[in-house]
Amino acid sequence: MKNSLLRFCAAGAVLLASLLTASAADSKLIVAMLPKSKGNAYFISCKAGADKAAKELGIQLLFDGPTDSNAAKQNEIVENWITLGVDVIAVAAENKEGISTALRKAQKQGIKVLTYDADAMADARSFFVNQATPQGIGQTLMDEAARLVGAEGEFAMIVGSLTAANQREWQKYVEARLKEKFPKMKLVAVRPCDDLKDKAQSEATALLSANPKLKLIMAICSPGVPGAAEAVKQAGLTGKVKVMGLGLPNENKRYVHAGVTDSVILWNTGDLGYLTIYAGVALAKDELKKGAKSLKAGALGSFAIEGDNILLGQPFIFNQGNIDRFDF
Amino acid sequence: MSTAAHAPASSNRHRRDWRALLTRHEMLLLYVLIAEWLFFYFAGTSTNRRGVIVGFGTWDRQFDILRHSCEIGLLALALTPVIITAGIDLSVGSLLGLCAILFGKLWHDAGLSIPVAIGLTLGIGALAGALNAILITALRLPPLIVTLGTYSLFRGLAEAITRGSITYTDFPETFLFIGQERWLGLPTQAWVFLSVALAIGLLVHRTTYGRAFRTIGLAPEGARYAGLPVERRLALVYVLAGLIAAIAAIIYTARLGQAKADAGSGYELFAITAVVLGGTSIFGGKGTIPGTLLGVAAIAVLKNGLACLPVVMRLNAAEEMSGLFTGALLLAALTASVLPKILSNLRSRRHTATQSTSTLSP
Repeated sequence: MKNSLLRFCAAGAVLLASLLTASAADSKLIVAMLPKSKGNAYFISCKAGADKAAKELGIQLLFDGPTDSNAAKQNEIVENWITLGVDVIAVAAENKEGISTALRKAQKQGIKVLTYDADAMADARSFFVNQATPQGIGQTLMDEAARLVGAEGEFAMIVGSLTAANQREWQKYVEARLKEKFPKMKLVAVRPCDDLKDKAQSEATALLSANPKLKLIMAICSPGVPGAAEAVKQAGLTGKVKVMGLGLPNENKRYVHAGVTDSVILWNTGDLGYLTIYAGVALAKDELKKGAKSLKAGALGSFAIEGDNILLGQPFIFNQGNIDRFDF
Repeated sequence: MSTAAHAPASSNRHRRDWRALLTRHEMLLLYVLIAEWLFFYFAGTSTNRRGVIVGFGTWDRQFDILRHSCEIGLLALALTPVIITAGIDLSVGSLLGLCAILFGKLWHDAGLSIPVAIGLTLGIGALAGALNAILITALRLPPLIVTLGTYSLFRGLAEAITRGSITYTDFPETFLFIGQERWLGLPTQAWVFLSVALAIGLLVHRTTYGRAFRTIGLAPEGARYAGLPVERRLALVYVLAGLIAAIAAIIYTARLGQAKADAGSGYELFAITAVVLGGTSIFGGKGTIPGTLLGVAAIAVLKNGLACLPVVMRLNAAEEMSGLFTGALLLAALTASVLPKILSNLRSRRHTATQSTSTLSP
């Protein structure tokens, strides 16, 4: 009885398997893309761009990741892709060192590796698709602020904290641009909000009463923009004091439509996914090599490469006209 | 089965001997495992664009399966004696996380050498297991509630110590060897896993301790009347569980090269699934280590195999699919194990029914 059972199981398995493999023959280039977490709207919008690029290039795109930003699961997924023999792996690293061991292993097996959004260790990948340089962010913020107020008057800044490295870096470039280009504008205060919306709101309220001539508030941490907008709205200064800064479209949509917030600055995540796929395919086809200075990416044109960073270029400005097209 | 036992054929004796080692349920599970493996071998292997054979049918993949099942496998080994005594330990996954970050802290912050840090971590694991043991045996609290408490306690402690943000990395190559390289042909950690399996297997099947676990699981009061040191035996299984969770933590850290507070979250449920799939009764009194090993293998092969199928790859949801099929496999196995009993019940009822009608007929 047992022998027949065993034979039955084996026969069934083989039969089913042969049915499945018949449809599996596929010799397309396979690019595997790993987000930090696959349910995150930010990465879903990256995938939309990646899908578009995959269709244009005629490749197969795998897009899988943990549901909860779990570094251990990221490693398991990469190891799975290694034995599946994909051609390219593109990773947004949750943990720099943790993922790098898996990525080095992939490189050893001849798989091309690149990172996007969040970099891994430099020796574990060929290129990093860098969504925004601190200089680009600082300049775009300052230029947009100047445009909103006609390049003159007082403005204040709300930052995440006075110590965070990226915040200080951005602030530095904002101030450099101010000094260089806009002599009639004056930065009157810089206040930290500890990455809390409530704190940003109370700081903004204090700024408004202390500086009656204030024309604009620039927030460079994402909870700061809606926080400042709420303060301006409640003070009845909508339109008189402009609000702008770095943030995600979704949490600012309400204020943008109400006319409180004028501009929200970030990068175009769809373009980030699109560029990542083009870079990955160029790597696999040996068209993108160490020392390259630029990369052509389909409809988006040419992108500059600095060292091993492929630059997405200037940040993207979300405003009343385009913010509804984005969902993250 | 009964016909095989009656068969006098001497050529069959040898085969019957190794079969006698496994229960009916385990034989069934073995067939499922073989069928699974064959299925994935044929459906999950292909040749890629560069002409390299990739997917399930590669040695790399087989070693990956072994490497990925070591931690959950260790926890399943830890849980088998616990469940045989009709207990449960939900805290092992959290304890894995706590031990992982304490190990990282001892090495990175306290500057201890790797062997000393490993030794201390194992001690901490055993102590944490002892905390469960004391609450369960001295205070006579139900294991489900106690370990539900320590489940949160250990994880919370791990998150508090690292404030949810510190990750220990940059471990030396010699340590990462345990988790990422091969030794004597097998992934290094597989040797640890197999040694623990052998030790626990001997404890459960070849010593009076094992018999005591089963007796306690079947009838704790009876065991007490029979003069068994019930509290001491129960304490032993929980301390062992803590110790093994710490071993799993070391292996986990070495495999990923990082120790973070979320290490091993959810592993306790995978481990319990493997144990129950392996034929251990959740009500206690019954269960084997070979069964648990088969259960671990069946889940690991399923999980890894699914990720190789082109159909699943295209769905980009290997993780979710494996959860779905693991659940289905468990339910199918549980059904299959009670089916013969139900069938024979039905048959005997019909038998008595026909008998009674025959006596009624003239």
